[in-house]
Amino acid sequence: MGHTGVLNALTRRLGELSVVAFGVSVLSFLMIRLIPGDAVQIMLGANAEVTPAQIAALRAKLGLDQPMVLQYGDWAWRALHGDLGTSVWTGRPVLEEILPRVGVTAELTLLSLAVAAVLAVPLGCLMATARRRSADYTIRLLSIVGLTLPSFWLGTMLLYGVAALAPDAQLLGWVPFGEDPLGNLQRIILPVIALALPVLASLSRVMRASMVEVMRQDYIRTARSKGLSEGSVVGVHALRNAVLPFMTSFGIMAGYLFGGSVVVEQVFALPGLGRLMLGAIAERNYPLVQASILLATLSFVVINALVDVLYAVVDPRISRA
Amino acid sequence: MKLAAAVVLGVSLIAAPVVRAQVLEIATDQSPVGLDPHVATSFATQLITSTVYEGLTAIDSALRVVPALAQSWKVSEDGKTYRFMLREGAMFHNGRAVTTADVIASVARVRDPKTGSPYASRFTSVTSVVADGNDVVVTLDQPSAPFLSQLASLVIVPPEAVGELARRPVGTGAFKFHEWVPDTYISLDANAAYWEKGLPHLTGLKFNIVPEAATRQLGLQSGTYRMVPSLDAATATALAGSTKVKVAATQDLAYSLIGLNVSKAPFDKPGVREAVNFAVDRAQLVQAAYFGRAVPGGPLSPALADWALPVSDFPCYKPDPAQSKKLLTSAGLTLPVKVTLNVLGSLQQVVDVAQVVQAQMNKAGFEVTLNVQEQGKFIQDWRGGNFEAFASLNGGGIDPDDYFGRTFATGGATNVYKFSLPALDQALVDGRSASEVGRKMLYEEVQRDLACNGPVVHLAYGTLFTAVRADVQGFTPNPTRSLRGLREVSISP
Repeated sequence: MGHTGVLNALTRRLGELSVVAFGVSVLSFLMIRLIPGDAVQIMLGANAEVTPAQIAALRAKLGLDQPMVLQYGDWAWRALHGDLGTSVWTGRPVLEEILPRVGVTAELTLLSLAVAAVLAVPLGCLMATARRRSADYTIRLLSIVGLTLPSFWLGTMLLYGVAALAPDAQLLGWVPFGEDPLGNLQRIILPVIALALPVLASLSRVMRASMVEVMRQDYIRTARSKGLSEGSVVGVHALRNAVLPFMTSFGIMAGYLFGGSVVVEQVFALPGLGRLMLGAIAERNYPLVQASILLATLSFVVINALVDVLYAVVDPRISRA
Repeated sequence: MKLAAAVVLGVSLIAAPVVRAQVLEIATDQSPVGLDPHVATSFATQLITSTVYEGLTAIDSALRVVPALAQSWKVSEDGKTYRFMLREGAMFHNGRAVTTADVIASVARVRDPKTGSPYASRFTSVTSVVADGNDVVVTLDQPSAPFLSQLASLVIVPPEAVGELARRPVGTGAFKFHEWVPDTYISLDANAAYWEKGLPHLTGLKFNIVPEAATRQLGLQSGTYRMVPSLDAATATALAGSTKVKVAATQDLAYSLIGLNVSKAPFDKPGVREAVNFAVDRAQLVQAAYFGRAVPGGPLSPALADWALPVSDFPCYKPDPAQSKKLLTSAGLTLPVKVTLNVLGSLQQVVDVAQVVQAQMNKAGFEVTLNVQEQGKFIQDWRGGNFEAFASLNGGGIDPDDYFGRTFATGGATNVYKFSLPALDQALVDGRSASEVGRKMLYEEVQRDLACNGPVVHLAYGTLFTAVRADVQGFTPNPTRSLRGLREVSISP
């Protein structure tokens, strides 16, 4: 596969990207508008004394009185020119609202992924080598618990646990890493636990499965027959090969991590992207919802495309298929 | 000599007043949705705007009308003309002095249909607002008992800033807007030019948006937050034992209710509405859903001690499932009567109440299905009259005329039940010009009319809990949920 192959793959991906972008923009536009209740209703709250005429006046102010097709056309035209609109409530360009949040979510998800991956390798190896013994069963049972526990429940339980055991610990709120690195790490411990645990559970099971598979191979028997210690067999010969499928499942985890961070940011009041999106939906802040969903989706597509292209570079068999 | 100097220096260091940044960190559950005080009326917005803005009058923590931007006022003999003496030295946060023209413009803005203000209906009786020197003279077409208290909700804004008010509040209050980071926090700075000298004591307020109750509770215990307004009863009970936290309680004006749509079967029949009252056991509800920290209430809050009838005056408030079934059968219905109850899902207290009421009604001839709704959907169905019955929390008024008028009068602004009772409409009209004693009698009649057969099954008036750290001094909770009192709060060193 030469440069043309990579270039073709890239062009094809770019074409798909624009189709996905269009589809997602239409869907997010429709979905948020089809939810009953609009920005005006939320602003007035329950039990406000208003007439239908007053509501109509407020809708006109927010531009909600236009037909939906016109609203979409207007939005899409501006978006193509790089203007994703302004936030209904603060009047700032939505990009200015979104960009400062990316760092928080990136720190949370990357740290969780790193913690989970670092712990999953030894745990997976332990399960595979202790197969069908109590260590294996215990960790497998724990991993099922980890997989099924919802993050919001886990997060709440962590909070109550800390409240009971160490009520004075400064573990809440948000301090930017640049301002106070220690304070930042201290406050992200609980969210990382809540987000990483299900990932750890899943990754360690992947690790176990691929390790069990590798341990059946002939060259492991050969290594053993050479008289190598079990630690050296597992740690040097088996691990290198078993870790490949494990790396692949990282990509799948990215989607889970972002979804999970929406929940975890909500529980721990972290000023991340997920929190911003959820708030924007609850407040019917249409331009902000559309822009953040669009950007989040596009970055996923781009990451996946990059991974595919990298595969094609690394493993020629994939581009031939 | 050196030693003496060191001692003097040391003493002066100790004696020097400790100047600290005293920003009160507050944790609140919902983000405000727009900050225009004439338009955004949700609890979440009012919490913040109550510290930034002031009206001519204000409501204090004992629910008395007190002077704010008006230094004092005089009411004419016939009760139709009000003369307000404007406070001298009051400045907007943009540095401009408040004038009579600002008052006139603010009244006009609320009444302008283009503004779409929910408060407009409160000021329909105003015929003219004119300046007379430093006074503002307001004329009404008929005497209005609640006028002075309603004026507290009409805050004075500078006309030059109205275009941006939803985003950048500019008021006259003790705190001025600094920054809004959506779904994260809103920060306010102390207003150094505040008209009441010496106030505020704090250097600022920070409203942190913290959606999870457990996070607010832990944050308060660890000192990350110093105040949590509007705690639910369960958290308040959990915090009560802590030495680091004080829980202040006051009777809430807001009440839980079951609203009934009288334009649809089965609640078009007064007997069926009465049956719901017999089905509900309010004392049990208070124990089960409020941990005992609420009082059963009728159409008026027990906080309005001068007006409210005791609930023992209402015969249908004695729980009697058998009587409920009897009423349903005699209304020609076959048991069980199937009812769908819309529930405002964003308030846990309401969901708790609805579950208890469902169990109670199911024992008394009904079959209730709960439909827990997201806030936007609930409000839409509520406003459109698209419900059989709903469970919610309503903010009560501090004046009976104001509350009854908008809620139960024919065509009232929040009469979503489509209720109409000519005798009640007439009593409200008569009450406005009646003597104090006459008003009281008329409103007692109205309460009796509404309690058993009205469109609202009034359940309980909860307790408004506010938790503060032990070092927060001078906070008095206000039943209206206003945080204007924060101007008098300080943090002890």
